[in-house]
Amino acid sequence: MNEKLRQPLRERIHIGRWAPIFAMVLLMVILGLYTNGKQPSFSSSFNLNGLLIATIPLALAAMGQASALMVKAFDVSVGALMTVCVVVASFVLVADRSWWQLAIGMVCVVGVALFTGAINVALIRVLKLSSIIATLSTMSILQGIALWLRPQPKGIINYDFTHTLLKSVGFVPIAFIAIFIIAILSDIWLYRTSGGLAARATGLNEESASRRGVRVSKLFVRAFFISAFAAAVGAFFLAAQVGIGDPQVGLGYTLTSIAAAVLGGASLLGGRGSFVGAIIGALFLNVIINILPFLGWSASYGRIAVGLLTLIALSFYQAPELAKRFKAAIANKSLSRSKIV
Amino acid sequence: MSLQNNKNQDSVLSLSGISKRYGPVKANADITINFRAGEIHALLGENGSGKSTLLGIASGSVTPDSGTVEIAGIKLNSASTKDAMELGLGMAYQTMTEVAGLTVAENLYLAAPDHVRPKYGQMASWAVNKLEETGLAINVFAKMEDLSLAQRQLLEVVQALLSNPKVLLLDEPTTALGHNDVERLHALIVDLASKGMGIVYVSHRLSEVLDVANRITILRDGVNQGTFDSNDLTESGVVALMIGRPIDQAFPDRNVVTSEKVVLQVSRFRGRRFGPVELSVRQGEILGIAGAEGNGQTQFLRAIAGAETSNGEIICKGKAVDVKSPPGPLRSGIIFLSSDRKQESIFTALGVRANATLQVMGRYGTLGFVRRRNERAPVSELVNRLRLKAASTEQPAQYLSGGNQQKVALMRPFLRGDLNVIIADEPTQGVDVGARLDIYRALREKASEGCSVIVKSSDPIELAGLCNRVVVMSRGIIVDEILQEDLGERRIIAAIIGQEYKHGGTK
Repeated sequence: MNEKLRQPLRERIHIGRWAPIFAMVLLMVILGLYTNGKQPSFSSSFNLNGLLIATIPLALAAMGQASALMVKAFDVSVGALMTVCVVVASFVLVADRSWWQLAIGMVCVVGVALFTGAINVALIRVLKLSSIIATLSTMSILQGIALWLRPQPKGIINYDFTHTLLKSVGFVPIAFIAIFIIAILSDIWLYRTSGGLAARATGLNEESASRRGVRVSKLFVRAFFISAFAAAVGAFFLAAQVGIGDPQVGLGYTLTSIAAAVLGGASLLGGRGSFVGAIIGALFLNVIINILPFLGWSASYGRIAVGLLTLIALSFYQAPELAKRFKAAIANKSLSRSKIV
Repeated sequence: MSLQNNKNQDSVLSLSGISKRYGPVKANADITINFRAGEIHALLGENGSGKSTLLGIASGSVTPDSGTVEIAGIKLNSASTKDAMELGLGMAYQTMTEVAGLTVAENLYLAAPDHVRPKYGQMASWAVNKLEETGLAINVFAKMEDLSLAQRQLLEVVQALLSNPKVLLLDEPTTALGHNDVERLHALIVDLASKGMGIVYVSHRLSEVLDVANRITILRDGVNQGTFDSNDLTESGVVALMIGRPIDQAFPDRNVVTSEKVVLQVSRFRGRRFGPVELSVRQGEILGIAGAEGNGQTQFLRAIAGAETSNGEIICKGKAVDVKSPPGPLRSGIIFLSSDRKQESIFTALGVRANATLQVMGRYGTLGFVRRRNERAPVSELVNRLRLKAASTEQPAQYLSGGNQQKVALMRPFLRGDLNVIIADEPTQGVDVGARLDIYRALREKASEGCSVIVKSSDPIELAGLCNRVVVMSRGIIVDEILQEDLGERRIIAAIIGQEYKHGGTK
């Protein structure tokens, strides 16, 4: 084989990209074993099943967020959009509906989400608003719409719908497996195809990418449609869990979806990230919340623990950068010293 | 008729009647040029003569106000870099278009149009082949940001060639290249031209371009000065056409520097893109910094002002200056006027008065409260003295013209009592003629009050008219010094070109 074609092993397996995700998995295992030692019921299939089901909406929202962050944009409206989708579902996905009525209802919910995505992208690309401001505004509007449609929690979600969605094999929900497979395929797309390369390049340097012939606007449209679609699907699972049209249900998802995506390797500066990582990030956050009652900790400690563990996980991303800077500083010092002599 | 046909076949890029305005500035005025297949066509002009705008229009990244672009005989209907590329135009940009964070192979792959792209999995071997074709020894798995500037600049040319263009535009392709790389690049483009590609070559380094160019077109102030056969023009002839106007007589009188006292002493000073630099500036002296763009002048000045990381020693009036961050030099009485006025110099939302007194707030306040009453008189006096044109001293700076914004920034050194050095980076960039003179006068006044002034300018006329002494920088170091008695526009240009030549031609 040609000498030049041999990529160094270190680079081929992309340690920088995957190490923090492994670190998170390791942390989860350690936390899990520790908790299990104190309370064996942690590893009951009932608890693990509940943990995974609770993770699904956040995992989807985080994947959507990762697709927005990939092109260096934030989708702050994710949480509110999920709320609206749940509320709409509480009108169209109620009891005593035939399967085709449910299908139409689901199309309605997805339609609402994609419409919101279209508005977001129009605000960002046509009106040239910053993505944070644009989606912050749509978030507020969506929040208002949710409260207007359902001032109080009301509208019971169809039981068959719920039941089908949450079906599990052993303790693993089928939906979780499906999402994980989609994430793996998405990561392969992102790092092993020209389309993924164009998306990463757009996030890293939009102007250069467009000068080199990448249709940047198209990628933005796609990123926001993916984010909106993921929010809609996430909302189905959220609706299945809460079972009622709650106008506040999605509130926390905006910030946690960003946190999960970033934990999973997404960079706020664009061009980096992983969909599998986003799921692991979502799982990580849910594991922390899940173990607290087993350890007898109150929710207040829980919040602090979530913050601290997030910081620990994130510091793994800075490690190579810090090492590089440290090396450069030393090199610089010795350079200037040798110059004086 | 047959002649017309012939001309059309021959032409790989034809620009006709191109005009483009930016606000009041006419960047291009009715420019018509035909670039032929198989020729190396140099496009020359001073900074701001409209070359970059013209290239932007030709490559589809800038929309002209009027005029048409034809690539290989087909009209470019709307400004689109992708369409231009598909019609057969390759462009190596001056501000390079590499995507930091991706590898060399990924960058090349991204730049390749669909029909020449290999399968994604074969990217690496394809990229290795492409680099071998152009004789570049670069690891295709290296991250773009880990390459040297020269390597990135050469890769920019490789990227432009990936689409097998009929015409190749090179915008200042050698600013970061050493002699050997320049030779290699020239060999490459001569070879490409012999195979029928049209090359449009823009560069400040006259001697280099004139070595390889077949024809030359010269722009001045956005106007085409004509296209010439390179055998018909000498280097000085080109310079005369580029400058084309008599030297401005309107510079204020130069005061003779009598003081031998050194105010600023720079030694073993090095940083990103410059160094080591040794330099001393005397009291009352205006020192000019000349050189082709991108040779470290700006970084050098910014480093003295503490805005760039650096190593070495700066002594101001016998005391070491802390240049780790901007407040250090400010404490030592060194004030910096950035070339990026809107970003780094003035606060666009604040008024004239607030902008002027920002750094000397303590003088006008009591117990930390600013007294507007105290500020008003000195500011109004300065408004008159600098002939600042503003609706009032409270008018936000964003509504002022470029020249008046610069005057606002210049008020700061006037308000400070303990000032030693003014560093001005392109003080008259984007400033109209009338305001320019006011700015020159203001700098002279400060100099005659005993301040030292360092001016970096890309305008040799300005340096010749304003300075007591000019040093020329090339590739980050000072390579020539011109004293007052020899100072002249031609001497400065010759020094810049000469240095390029010396560097480029040590055979």
